[in-house]
Amino acid sequence: MIPRSVDEVTAAFAEHRYLTDRPLAVAIHLSRSLSRPLFLEGEAGVGKTEVAKVLAQVLETELIRLQCYEGLDANHALYEWDYARQMLAIRLIEAGGGQARASVESIMSREYLLARPLLQAVEFSSSEGRPAVLLIDELDRADEEFEAFLLEILSDFQVTIPEIGVIRAAAPPVVVITSNRTREIHDALKRRCIYHWLDFPDLDREVEIVRAKVPDIDDRLARQLAEAMSDLRSLELFKPPGVAETLDWARALGVLGASQLTSEAVSDTLGVVLKYREDVEAVTQRGVESLVRTSS
Amino acid sequence: MAGAETLVEFTRELREEGLSVGSTTAADLMTALDQVGLASAADVHAAFRCLTVSSPWQLEVFDRVFMRFFGRYLTEGLAMTAPPQPRSWTIRRVQGGGVEGDGDDAGPETETFTGASWAERLSHKDFSELTKIEQAQVRSLLAQMMWRPAPVKSRRRRPSVAGDRPDLRRSLRKCVGPEGDLVKLEGSERRRRPRPILFIADVSGSMERYTEMLLYFAHAARARLGRMETFVFSTRLTRITRQLMRRNPTEALSQVSTSVEDWSGGTRIGECLRSFNYDWSRRVTRGGPVALIVSDGWDRGDPAMLSQQMERLRRTVHRLVWVNPLASREGYSPETRGMRAALPHVDDFLAGGRLSDLATLVSLLESLPERKK
Repeated sequence: MIPRSVDEVTAAFAEHRYLTDRPLAVAIHLSRSLSRPLFLEGEAGVGKTEVAKVLAQVLETELIRLQCYEGLDANHALYEWDYARQMLAIRLIEAGGGQARASVESIMSREYLLARPLLQAVEFSSSEGRPAVLLIDELDRADEEFEAFLLEILSDFQVTIPEIGVIRAAAPPVVVITSNRTREIHDALKRRCIYHWLDFPDLDREVEIVRAKVPDIDDRLARQLAEAMSDLRSLELFKPPGVAETLDWARALGVLGASQLTSEAVSDTLGVVLKYREDVEAVTQRGVESLVRTSS
Repeated sequence: MAGAETLVEFTRELREEGLSVGSTTAADLMTALDQVGLASAADVHAAFRCLTVSSPWQLEVFDRVFMRFFGRYLTEGLAMTAPPQPRSWTIRRVQGGGVEGDGDDAGPETETFTGASWAERLSHKDFSELTKIEQAQVRSLLAQMMWRPAPVKSRRRRPSVAGDRPDLRRSLRKCVGPEGDLVKLEGSERRRRPRPILFIADVSGSMERYTEMLLYFAHAARARLGRMETFVFSTRLTRITRQLMRRNPTEALSQVSTSVEDWSGGTRIGECLRSFNYDWSRRVTRGGPVALIVSDGWDRGDPAMLSQQMERLRRTVHRLVWVNPLASREGYSPETRGMRAALPHVDDFLAGGRLSDLATLVSLLESLPERKK
């Protein structure tokens, strides 16, 4: 079922065990109905990438992911010729001494082209009859040159390959862009998007998320975890833990067979939640028992 | 709830407040209203927000303007966004500020002087002893300094005959031509770009006589390099990168002085570096920068904290350089508590009280090795 209203978005996402708050559901709905990329920014581990994954499930289509990194260029994002095959083909032509002209045309054809994520997303709708979800993950890791290139692709979803011609998307892909904000993304790009700042969930929502994602968890433990997390985030840590860490923590405690949070359980598993030595020290100095609330 | 005029007015107001709202935004807002309906003010709020906001600092601005325009229609409470800003973000929009100056021909700073002897004499004179006229001369010399930090290898590649990796795309293209031959492989090598510089300057009371000249140096460096992250601190840290973007140095520095709240206050270097490490380092230390800390090392904070934060900073940057203006003086030795705590973590310790010292700094930056020390 393709969601057609904010309520339907919320419901469809919940069905796939992703609990959105209202503003996020509105942003998702608008990005779909206005055909604009959804730009999600927020701390690491708040569930940005997950939005795209679930959106693909909801729309019953494929997720095509472009992971950004420094030095990412058009060759890796768009398309690349399959040089090894081309070289082999040339060797064969030489050996056979056959019809040279026709052969040259043939090695510059679509058959010898390797589609990278952006081209895959453009071609997907033509072959499958429905648009794919294109996830451009951690755009802040790519450089500005790539951003400019992306701007061009996102504006018309067509790819010009000199040897072949223009490949156009039958229906533009549904685009989700995420950024951890290790640098500011240029305004020109963000302005074309629906922008949403994804924050840490509040206590009750986090309890629900834990229960949805780790169904066999004890109710009381779920609440204790969420409370401990909100305490941790209120400390001035170098890297406050995200929802991903909460879920890891819940699963880790499950593996250890804990049914409630105790000081020992916290000390044993602190490494699941905190990934910097300074942070672990800050919490141990303060006393891990301060994270355990027994009243609830 | 809102007619078209109100929406246009609303977007205009957001633009006034510094949001990058285009001329088509009002139409977008109308479409959005069709989509979410008028039943829930929270939905309208969320819809308008995701169409107009493009950065976390704008959330608070948006909420304020939204309440002003539509607050009276609200019957329910709205989930307002606490802006997720860095804790030490102290930059405000500077009121007034006039037009963008073209600093190329601005007044006495760029008078040209002839003869080398005065420059020679000036370059060895401590900044704190300069007369007004000499200050102007030094500023002009600072602006004329031509330099560029040693390059870093970028992850991007460019064609090169002697490159370390074959460039198959080009090789194949070449062999298509009339003299096509498969024998010659084209190469590629990694591109080079100047190493980024991170400038963190102490503007506390004890630095007063040096601050201006050092910030002029920072401004000239920014103009020369195109981009340079710059922070100042005394009791708290302030990012002044945007203020230094102004081309006219005098205007840029006056913008800096209005945005720094604790100008010439005491110094808490450790805490300020902590707030740099926690709130900023992940956002401004891409590409292996060399960090310049400009401070006399007079510190009223906790030396243990300073040492700890210096250690962390050193791990996130390519090279850590401490520039101390007092070190230009004869017989200086780094005896202050702060200086002693910081020194073990520093790669280079340089003087910075005279023009000739800055020349030394520049030649260090120009000859930085590619590998970490």
